[in-house]
Amino acid sequence: MMEVSPSENVSLREFGCEQTLLSRPDGSASFVQGDTSVMAGVYGPAEVKVSKEIYDRATLEVLVYPKVGLPGVRERSQEQCVRETCEASLLLSLHPRSSLTLILQVLHDAGSLLSCCLNAACMALMDAGLSMSCLFCGVTCAISTEGEIITDPTAAQEKESRALMTFAIDSKEHRVMMSSTRGSFSVQELQQCIAISQKASEKIFQFYRDSVRRRYSKNL
Amino acid sequence: MKDTPLSNCERDFLLKAIEEKKRLDGRQTYDYRKIKITFGSDYGCCFVDLGQTRVMAQVSCELVTPKESRPNEGIMFFNLELSPMASPAFEQGRQSELSVKLNRQLERCLRNSKCIDTESLCVVSGEKVWQIRVDVHTLNNDGNLMDAASVAAISALCHFRRPDVGIQGEEVTVYSPEERDPIPLSIYHMPISVSLAFFQQGTYLLVDPCEREERVMDGLLMIAMNKHREICSIQSSGGIMLLKEQVMRCSKIASVKVSEITDLINKALLNDKTARKAGGRCGFAESIPQERITALKTDQTSVEMTGVGETVSSIVQTAEAPPQKVPSPLLPVPGVGQVGEGMRNTWGVEEEEDGDSSGGDSGEEAVKMEEEQHKEDKSRKVDVVEILDSEEEEEEEEVVILYPETTEKAKNKGSSSGQKGAATSRKQQKK
Amino acid sequence: MIFSYNLPLYIYIIITSALVNLGLFLFQKENCRPDGRELFEFRTTTLNIGSISTADGSALVKLGNTTIICGIKAELANPTTDAPDKGYIVPNVDLPPLCSSRFRPGPPGEQAQAASQFIADVIESSDLIKTEDLCIERGKLCWVLYCDIMCLDYDGNILDACIIALLAALKNTQLPEVAVNKETCLPEVDFEKRQRLRIHRHPVGASFCVFDDSILIVDPTAEEESLSTAHLTVVTDEEGRLCSVHKPGGTPLSGEKLQECINRATARQREIHKLINKVLDSVKTAQ
Repeated sequence: MMEVSPSENVSLREFGCEQTLLSRPDGSASFVQGDTSVMAGVYGPAEVKVSKEIYDRATLEVLVYPKVGLPGVRERSQEQCVRETCEASLLLSLHPRSSLTLILQVLHDAGSLLSCCLNAACMALMDAGLSMSCLFCGVTCAISTEGEIITDPTAAQEKESRALMTFAIDSKEHRVMMSSTRGSFSVQELQQCIAISQKASEKIFQFYRDSVRRRYSKNL
Repeated sequence: MKDTPLSNCERDFLLKAIEEKKRLDGRQTYDYRKIKITFGSDYGCCFVDLGQTRVMAQVSCELVTPKESRPNEGIMFFNLELSPMASPAFEQGRQSELSVKLNRQLERCLRNSKCIDTESLCVVSGEKVWQIRVDVHTLNNDGNLMDAASVAAISALCHFRRPDVGIQGEEVTVYSPEERDPIPLSIYHMPISVSLAFFQQGTYLLVDPCEREERVMDGLLMIAMNKHREICSIQSSGGIMLLKEQVMRCSKIASVKVSEITDLINKALLNDKTARKAGGRCGFAESIPQERITALKTDQTSVEMTGVGETVSSIVQTAEAPPQKVPSPLLPVPGVGQVGEGMRNTWGVEEEEDGDSSGGDSGEEAVKMEEEQHKEDKSRKVDVVEILDSEEEEEEEEVVILYPETTEKAKNKGSSSGQKGAATSRKQQKK
Repeated sequence: MIFSYNLPLYIYIIITSALVNLGLFLFQKENCRPDGRELFEFRTTTLNIGSISTADGSALVKLGNTTIICGIKAELANPTTDAPDKGYIVPNVDLPPLCSSRFRPGPPGEQAQAASQFIADVIESSDLIKTEDLCIERGKLCWVLYCDIMCLDYDGNILDACIIALLAALKNTQLPEVAVNKETCLPEVDFEKRQRLRIHRHPVGASFCVFDDSILIVDPTAEEESLSTAHLTVVTDEEGRLCSVHKPGGTPLSGEKLQECINRATARQREIHKLINKVLDSVKTAQ
């Protein structure tokens, strides 16, 4: 089993977020990680088509639009990952026979796209005021060919990496909600990346708290 | 999702206000909303904000074979997507009437006006040309998507740089941006579309309608012009009847607006160029307004790594190790194999029966028989292989144990093997 | 199960929700499942290789009731400009309305597309086939392997079965020899001489289902899948390396539980690898 040591400078790129930037959706947010930016819009709870309605909970639909071209098979698997993560954290049983639609538009992809989508989705759901049992955040780890673990890799780092893993971590107990990997790696490496992601998620959750605190700092 | 319908009192209010030359947001009749143009960090990406209407355009290029009728020209492809994010009325997938109309207008405005020199996009005549693809995504619909889309598309085309190519005989090499600087597209003129909305059968006119005004309008006139006062396309929809003077007046208004907007685009392009030359960071990330209460940014942070190593090793060690011994698979017939105990028979009716047996339609290799299997198999008793015809399956009430010799004859008859173990256990459960 | 909308649908759903409680109760109390298996027991896996004679390679896998068939067709094509010395593999997973009433006729739904993407990722991550082996002449000619995976009976856990079927079919695939005629520059295919594909790694998947983040079961049936709160698929290869840890959302899982799943997946990999090898040997000796 290979022993992998995390590099000394495991860091997250600068990130930023803006909420309520679109006037039509019920909740919207744009999340920026380094140069990667994703915009998310949420509509709901709204009317649902009879063919899609579920009698005791809301129907969540996630749409991912890439920057160039039409959505393809890759976008479908990203949609599945984001949708199931949101379904596990939203309290869907509060809105039976309703639809919730989450639309993600990729504005720029410079590495760690799926985790940026997850973060934007969580902030947009918060902005829309939907009740959630826990928050979630996305963290991407890449293992370079030398065995170094890099968090929040850029596009160049992703291309040269041996393995790439994206995890969604929940805010209550810091456990893994979603995992999507590419490339081959050993068990040790996987567990280390999970542990590193859990530590990194604390920073992101602190950022969520700070931005919400800033937002409601002025009482009207 | 359905959009909220417009109530009658809102409609009456809007029409009455327009009769008094008043607009909801306080603009004058011929005023545009505030236009903001920003560019992304890669070439060819442009964001346009027209009031609250937000649109993003991205230009990309690819080497393809040209059309047979035009072997010397490059190809321009436009795709305007009405994203469900922009409005609850837009649905994914289905090409609505509005989407077709906007796409067609964008094509007419940019492709048919020949604003881009397509001959310069040719690399090897008849074999390889550049295909320029413009994707316009609508982010927020607050009226007048067409204008915003045309401004975004033409700005993105002006901003775009295509990779340099080198031709040596038959070989075409595409240089990456690091090797050679990318080249801008050659653009002759910048056509921009201006929308004018008509109310009360053409009596009242408003430039740049917002979403509410669009809902109560009678008709829309879209004029695409460039700053040299050349009209590239005119489209009138909604069935309003206009007089010649009205159309002339509209085109004069449009020419004034177009020259203003063209100046704005040029200024934005110049700002972006100087910013890039100065080496500063540019892109959507930088355009997040800092002073707003709804926005927050942090710097690069490092992650604390204390205790990670110990947690990991403890997790890996405490988990039980995988069993070393692995059960051996069962091979009744060449080409067919099976592993796993399967569902144990809990009915205990016939002790010789086992819950399962092998299966598979081995067309090519159904030669060797089960005799070998019986010799190999020590752990199990006689395995049941049922050869049934499809009609027999429903009628049969008893389970038949077939011995190898009978099986051979049955197989020679050519009957197809039906369901095996599952059928057997199902029948047993029926009893 | 054929059902129409409105009344019968509600009844079906009410029965299902009653089953949730029954199922959880059974799991916790008796440590057994509706079909009598243990929590960590796989269903009977049956493998049949080479049954489609018109395909270059084929395999049929039955995992309990779940039936998946994979057919490989090799065609000649021009390589892409950014990878002139590599061929390519195109997997496609099809879930037709035949296999289950939940799939409607028409374009592939989200589950089929997500499964196709997953299989493509597994092929790439595990280095199953080196695409350089598929190149015949650099920049001019290469092999394209179209892998069509179709489900004939959907009873849960299609991802595992798809991977096994794909691996077995690729091991069974034989490509004819191709020579490029120097004068005419046209490829000449010799169908008599055939060569097997070189498989570098043998990835095998193990799928798990989580119920309320306390109960973990292996190899779920369709019923268990619909009642579960999260799915997890772990793909390992023979060197103990993980090729994919695919958990598309759902209730969270701790690191320790994940480790347990990985260990079981490694055991499963050995079992299936042995099965595939044995079946292939029997086919070779039969020919």
